[in-house]
Amino acid sequence: MIFFIVQFSRNPTANGVGVDLLKGGIMKIGIPKGLLYCKYHPFLTTFFTKLGCDVVISEDTNKNILDAGVKYCVDEACMPVKIFHGHVASIKDRCDILVIPRIMQLWKNEYICPKFCGLPEMVINSIDNLPPTISEPIYATSQKKLYNWAKAAGKYLGKSNNKVRLAFHSALNAQRDYEEGIFDKGYEVNVALIGHPYNIYDSFSNMNLVKKLNKLGVGIVTGEFTHEDTLRDVAKKLYKKPFWTFTRENYGFAINVAKEKIVDGIIYVSSFNCGPDSIIIELIKNSLPHFPFLILKIDEHTGEAGIDTRIEAFADMLERRTRIESNFSTHG
Amino acid sequence: MYYLGVDVGSVSTDLVLINENSNLVEKIYLRTKGNPIKAVQEGFKMLRKNYKDSEIAAAGTTGSGRLIAATIIGADAAKNEITAHATAALEIEKDVRTIIEIGGQDSKIIIINNGIVVDFAMNTVCAAGTGSFLDRQAERLDIPIEEFGDYALKATNSVRISGRCAVFAESDMIHKQQMGYNHSEIIRGLCDALVRNYLNNVGKGKTILPKVLFQGGVAANKGMKMAFENQLGFEVFVPENHSMMGAIGAAIIAKEKVKKTGITNFRGLTLAESNIVTRSFECEGCANKCEVVKIYENNNVMGYFGDRCTKWSNRLRENTKLA
Repeated sequence: MIFFIVQFSRNPTANGVGVDLLKGGIMKIGIPKGLLYCKYHPFLTTFFTKLGCDVVISEDTNKNILDAGVKYCVDEACMPVKIFHGHVASIKDRCDILVIPRIMQLWKNEYICPKFCGLPEMVINSIDNLPPTISEPIYATSQKKLYNWAKAAGKYLGKSNNKVRLAFHSALNAQRDYEEGIFDKGYEVNVALIGHPYNIYDSFSNMNLVKKLNKLGVGIVTGEFTHEDTLRDVAKKLYKKPFWTFTRENYGFAINVAKEKIVDGIIYVSSFNCGPDSIIIELIKNSLPHFPFLILKIDEHTGEAGIDTRIEAFADMLERRTRIESNFSTHG
Repeated sequence: MYYLGVDVGSVSTDLVLINENSNLVEKIYLRTKGNPIKAVQEGFKMLRKNYKDSEIAAAGTTGSGRLIAATIIGADAAKNEITAHATAALEIEKDVRTIIEIGGQDSKIIIINNGIVVDFAMNTVCAAGTGSFLDRQAERLDIPIEEFGDYALKATNSVRISGRCAVFAESDMIHKQQMGYNHSEIIRGLCDALVRNYLNNVGKGKTILPKVLFQGGVAANKGMKMAFENQLGFEVFVPENHSMMGAIGAAIIAKEKVKKTGITNFRGLTLAESNIVTRSFECEGCANKCEVVKIYENNNVMGYFGDRCTKWSNRLRENTKLA
């Protein structure tokens, strides 16, 4: 049973606020470039553009955004959630309506981190003078369920069913056409970069990790190229089905990429106080006791010396290991 | 010919000279005191008394301040501490399997198999169990850090202290002290707690095989050595120059590098006389507002640091190419 939390705005009207706001011209929809934006931006931006709205997207994460996020957000949240707050703060005055995706489920019987379910409340209660928000829960387990979100959002903006349907299908197509992920070729040493997508693709919070690794002569492979069925099969070997989607995916990817010898090592990028990560990291370590595995904890501090030392040493180690292994065919 | 190694750590700055056979000929230990540049200059001043620039064939740096040090001295190699420590350890002990290194703010474990680093781990953001914490406790108990280990050896009993977190450990220690336990027992308990924390945290999931080398500044603490031996159940070796291992490793790496390239970038010991100042500014180029550090030597710009996009740090490189 799906809870239909109609938590649309502070002053909803029967026809939606869209009609009122539109008097001023084209509606400006603000989309914060935080959390899962990196994964689902084609869907979100296409949907609202096709509905005839202007889409206002926050800048790439930067120091101002991080500072604002730390200022507004509750202290115990993880850094990606704080950064999301910063993105909201940076565009709240430039849009008529703000989209805060309340992503609940991507697959049946598993969930996204609880901070996503409560994200709109966290943001609305922490940042003053926000425009009205679209924060309808997103259940992306089937096209039909996802369409519920589109219908609600469209109604809120005062758009016709027909228009919403067309926009929804364009958005789905845009999402399907979007190719994400990194699969470097031509490097002698390669690592799998694992973690929540917003930690891997936000080059500010991970201190340019992708570029740094490439510069050290290390190629990168991310999880998007591993087939969903493979991820599922690997995770089935766990004593219990993982509750969180990213836990299952990251575990499946790590084990598969190591067993298939696609990479020489694994780097796991984790937010300092991430609960699901604390479990998944141990599970991966237990399953791959002899595979090179580096954990990078990212936090608010911006000193890069610590992260540089770790990735340099890891790259050195992998380079020597591969050199030895290619010289002698047998393991020592 | 000599080869210079500089390890700029959070607490200490170490300089060494090694000879062709990688034997130590000179070692200097200085406190970094928050000013790595000054510490390096201080060290150079001392080296100048006995050595000439022409005698130094290569220079390497390591430690958290390796980049800034490499820029000012013109290093041939700037290597991370893991590689540097492993290189130095393998030089003195070919059969080493595990290196325990505990420094001022970092603690590390390095696993070696057949002379190759096969695994390593470092402490995460937490500094519990590192040198800084011991330093602070020694200061609080008014015991010179050099004698800290002897106190632990004197104790017949170890007081249980929580080692998970430096803040909790400290309150635990104060609590035990107020209950009347003597200093020796508390210090021994602290050493046991730190080792427990190290093995559970940094050493988690790692198989620690002998021969074990215990390196870094904290290895001077006999109480820590004993605690490791008690908990591991076999002997732990502390190399003679345990606190210099990083610097020695950097010197060896620089030596090997220069053997390959045939030319050193070392700028000479006259650096000791230079007037080096740093100024930082907030770059306005984009919203990242990086805090860029600009280093001047005798009013000439020597280098930039801290810019994410490398706009500033590359600028100088281009200029030197032109010059």
